[in-house]
Amino acid sequence: MSEENLKYSETHEWARLDGDFVVVGLSAFAIEQLGDVVYLELPNPGDNVSQGASFGLVESVKAASDIYAPVDGSVAEVNYDVADNLDLLKTDPYGAAWLIKIEPGDPSQLESLMGGDEYEKFCASQVDE
Amino acid sequence: MEAKKTPLYERHLAAGAKMVDFAGWLMPIQYAEGIVAEHLTTRKSCGLFDVSHMGRFIIRGGGALAFLQHVLTNDASALDIGQSQYTILANASGGAIDDAYLYRFVDHEYLLVVNASNKDKDWAHLEEQAGSFVDVVMEDVGSDLAMLAVQGPQSGAILEALLEKGSLPPDKRNCLSEVQIEGTKVLAGRTGYTGEPVCFELFLPAAIAVDLWDALTEKGAAPIGLGARDTLRLEAGLPLYGHEFGGDPEGREIPVFACPLAAFAVSFAEGKGDFLGKTALVRQARALDAIKKGDRSCGDILPRLFRQVVILGRGIARHGDPVLLDNRLVGHVTSGTMVPYWEFQQTPKGVVLGDSKGMRAVALALLDHRMDFGQAISIRVRGKDIEARIVHKNLENRKGPISYAVLPK
Repeated sequence: MSEENLKYSETHEWARLDGDFVVVGLSAFAIEQLGDVVYLELPNPGDNVSQGASFGLVESVKAASDIYAPVDGSVAEVNYDVADNLDLLKTDPYGAAWLIKIEPGDPSQLESLMGGDEYEKFCASQVDE
Repeated sequence: MEAKKTPLYERHLAAGAKMVDFAGWLMPIQYAEGIVAEHLTTRKSCGLFDVSHMGRFIIRGGGALAFLQHVLTNDASALDIGQSQYTILANASGGAIDDAYLYRFVDHEYLLVVNASNKDKDWAHLEEQAGSFVDVVMEDVGSDLAMLAVQGPQSGAILEALLEKGSLPPDKRNCLSEVQIEGTKVLAGRTGYTGEPVCFELFLPAAIAVDLWDALTEKGAAPIGLGARDTLRLEAGLPLYGHEFGGDPEGREIPVFACPLAAFAVSFAEGKGDFLGKTALVRQARALDAIKKGDRSCGDILPRLFRQVVILGRGIARHGDPVLLDNRLVGHVTSGTMVPYWEFQQTPKGVVLGDSKGMRAVALALLDHRMDFGQAISIRVRGKDIEARIVHKNLENRKGPISYAVLPK
């Protein structure tokens, strides 16, 4: 369900350090839980984001969910392709369905996130509830 | 209390259903294909819904008709054997305790189908009211009778292929018949909650529910969950208790006549006589007539009416979102989501559905009665105003056998 070199938040975003940037997306677990995603709202390049604060919106038929930034920083790049092709969220959540690249204020904030194993356990505990 | 299971619980799991607790029942919210695919399948071919969670009461006895005339708003005496009607359990102030369907399959008894979420409340209300009538017997048949909905253009052909005796009800909404399938008597009605012109609901002994389900899916009926049931009814502009009946987003009771379908569910015919809520409902009906004629003088009786809405801007309106006209609050969204539709072509032989799908956000909204069709409005969605428009309908389904999207020009 998750990939090794990724970090995960409790709100089901994944983050990956890629050179000077932090790439952010939604985990396969999040997509599975949402069901059919029918709408995605993304920020604009240059927008500031802060760890734990909403930067976007993902909506299924049933409900709307905020997307939270895993680190502080400013939005360097936005993947608008995924908003036009929402199936990517299902078919390639950790690749083509990346959402934004953040120029982080403090990359070490990534260390506060979960690793893959920990995240899998976290997801399992969510399902049990 | 542990959630109840319908006889089809195992079948739902086998079909990859995501199960949720709905009104005390473990029900499929969606199957493996997902809500969008299920919605589209129902519109183009045939959707199969387990609706065995709905409340079902048999009412019989010499006083049954007089009792039903008192507790329901429609004229039950107008029902011949083999007919059904949409109806409402109204309270004295002209609000809805529930909306319901009344079926008359046989001479001596009526079958009342109510919302699962209101079943206990309805039963208590009916029992209390029955106390003033002689010879009324009520029986909760919810666990003996399973209930399936078979909806969509192919559903008639699929059911036809399974008939051993009898014939499907005449091709007119609300007609009923008795048929034999799987060696068992099945009650069939041309009713449904999807907006499909070709629609059936079946009542059958719980013991054959699995066999009938299997037979229907083998013929091509696709299992559809509660998620798509909601998007289908919303696209068709059909009300849901808790959203379009009951309390409004500001906590006030919604008058029954705010809902356009009330005209089909409330009768003031001579044979109907007096009934619970009649005084308030007569007042509402008069106010609605006046509003339609442009007379706004009794606007306080029906300050807001339900309208269908299409969202033109980016975003999805949801229950409770404020609706604005020139920055002034004119009402609220009561139901809203994004629904899929089939692209289609107008041909000399009628509309033909294509193979590509589109998506659009639609809503039902309770709006100031002065608002008109075609009017542009804004909906405040998560703090942002998005452009929308009041429409007559989002789904064309009066021409049959298929329904198709009415798209904004």
